[in-house]
Amino acid sequence: MIFDSYEAFRAANFTAKVCILGSGPAGTTIARKLGAAGIPVVVLEAGSREFSDESQDFYRGTTVGDPYFDLDITRLRFMGGSSNHWAGWCRVLDSQDFEPKAWAPDTGWPISRADIDPYLPEVHDILELPDFRPDVPISDDIRWIQLIKSPAVRFGEKFADELDASRNIAVVLNTYATELAGDGKRVTGARLWSNGQDAGAFSADYFITCTGGLENSRLLLWSNQRSNGGVVPNATALGRYWMEHPTFEGGNAILADYGEFEVDADNEAFFSPTLAAMERLQIMNFGIRLIETPYPHVKRLIADLACTAPDMAEWMSSRLSQNLRCAAQLYVAWEQAPLASNQIELSKTDVDHAGVPRIELHWKKSELERRTLLEGLRLFGTTLAQKNLGRVRIADWIGNGGDYPTNEETAGHHHMGGTRMGTDVTRSVVDANCKVHGMDNLYVGGSSVFCTSGECNPTTTITALACRLGDHLGKVIAV
Amino acid sequence: MTFFTGNFFTRKMPRRMIVQMLIALPALSLFRNQPAVVDPDEIVEVNGWILKRSDLA
Ligand SMILES: Cc1cc2nc3c(=O)[nH]c(=O)nc-3n(C[C@H](O)[C@H](O)[C@H](O)COP(=O)(O)OP(=O)(O)OC[C@H]3O[C@@H](n4cnc5c(N)ncnc54)[C@H](O)[C@@H]3O)c2cc1C
Repeated sequence: MIFDSYEAFRAANFTAKVCILGSGPAGTTIARKLGAAGIPVVVLEAGSREFSDESQDFYRGTTVGDPYFDLDITRLRFMGGSSNHWAGWCRVLDSQDFEPKAWAPDTGWPISRADIDPYLPEVHDILELPDFRPDVPISDDIRWIQLIKSPAVRFGEKFADELDASRNIAVVLNTYATELAGDGKRVTGARLWSNGQDAGAFSADYFITCTGGLENSRLLLWSNQRSNGGVVPNATALGRYWMEHPTFEGGNAILADYGEFEVDADNEAFFSPTLAAMERLQIMNFGIRLIETPYPHVKRLIADLACTAPDMAEWMSSRLSQNLRCAAQLYVAWEQAPLASNQIELSKTDVDHAGVPRIELHWKKSELERRTLLEGLRLFGTTLAQKNLGRVRIADWIGNGGDYPTNEETAGHHHMGGTRMGTDVTRSVVDANCKVHGMDNLYVGGSSVFCTSGECNPTTTITALACRLGDHLGKVIAV
Repeated sequence: MTFFTGNFFTRKMPRRMIVQMLIALPALSLFRNQPAVVDPDEIVEVNGWILKRSDLA
């Protein structure tokens, strides 16, 4: 059932065992799992069926540190969440991403890739993905990996009919959970805001916050402040270790034979380091996206090469006349080292229309990341040269230690961390089952539970973790 | 002057000295400014390009 207002839902007298906050990929997936297990679920969604400026305004906030997207631009607040404008790039975190890295503090998950593998067939159905091919090692250092562009499933659109027809799931639109109340053991209820006013409290046996990778921290920080630590009793890490995938154009490549790497429909191919290379160079994970370059750009690149290596340039230009598609732009996205200082705080001065403090995001890229960017491009360039696959030119600002360009995308709109998973309650917020440490009935869904970010886009892993949490909670409730 | 009759130096030098000079020759050649043996596959970074040394030929 889908209700367009909280009043309509109340009139229906639906009794829910589980209350999910947010109807993005995480919330919708968990609701469908629980609904299929016969468990009555309510999904409270702050937005409506469509985008509105008024709803987006609740997402405004500020960023301190490195330049970042406006916080009301980098996510969407209506049914289906940010899946309404995601690009659809899919890949699951690699098994190496779950392992602790001795050279990067606070890495390592309490679960392994094997814990989410059983859910991947479901994830493939949900995101409409074909099977991934295995990675292809092109040297001891570099793997040719696959990212698949899904049809960019809009969760709100795709599952609207199914949710509407469900007897076990009630989606309640235009209903903003402004805070949770708790006694340090259990969440006792959620405070709601609907139709521009306070709509009272709502209670259920279990609560799952799926409000997105920025908003989960905001909601829990505010709830905890209001209930004197009664919602997240161990809150040292709450809001901290926030991560993105910084993304910049890193240079260019001339390829001896463009056909060497089978490119996808967008003429792109993707590369990542091996764990051994990361360990040897003590760097984080990264992904290099190689995109075919238009012909005039190729000529410019070869002219530049001619100043340094004339014979090589001559050979390349002879190749060029045989094959017009032999150069590429290189974009690099990398894994951020998890840092407690990269954190979501509540603004002390600015609140939204419902009186909830807005986000103040503290975000800065580290020196380790800067090294990852440079060494990553060197690794890739070295592999291409050694294997005679091509030659790489690293962008000047990277080689010279210049500032990050300000005219580029900066990051992937991937909001990770803030309520990270772990066993140490001072360095994490949820346990391996996504349950908030110390609380009996509060769970978190979405990429805010990521301990580390790997190099790939997060939504495939979010959906897998959501299937796992749905399964787990179904079993807990059945007992 | 032919190769076998010796030149000005060999005629003036004692034979012992000539032998000593010949023995010293390989050692002296070490000090000659010979170009180092280069690996054409060595990776070098020039003007931002990641190249093989042989590309610079
Ligand atoms: C431009 C762009 C491109 C992207 N491209 C990719 C990509 O190619 N691949 C990829 O993997 N990822 C991509 N992403 C990221 C992807 O969209 C997110 O990872 C994903 O949507 C997160 O799902 P979620 O359910 O955790 O959160 P969200 O999608 O953010 O959903 C949260 C939901 O909660 C609701 N909500 C918020 N607060 C409350 C509250 N207090 N009470 C009730 N409801 C609330 C919101 O309205 C929203 O519907 C992209 C994102 C953007 C912005």
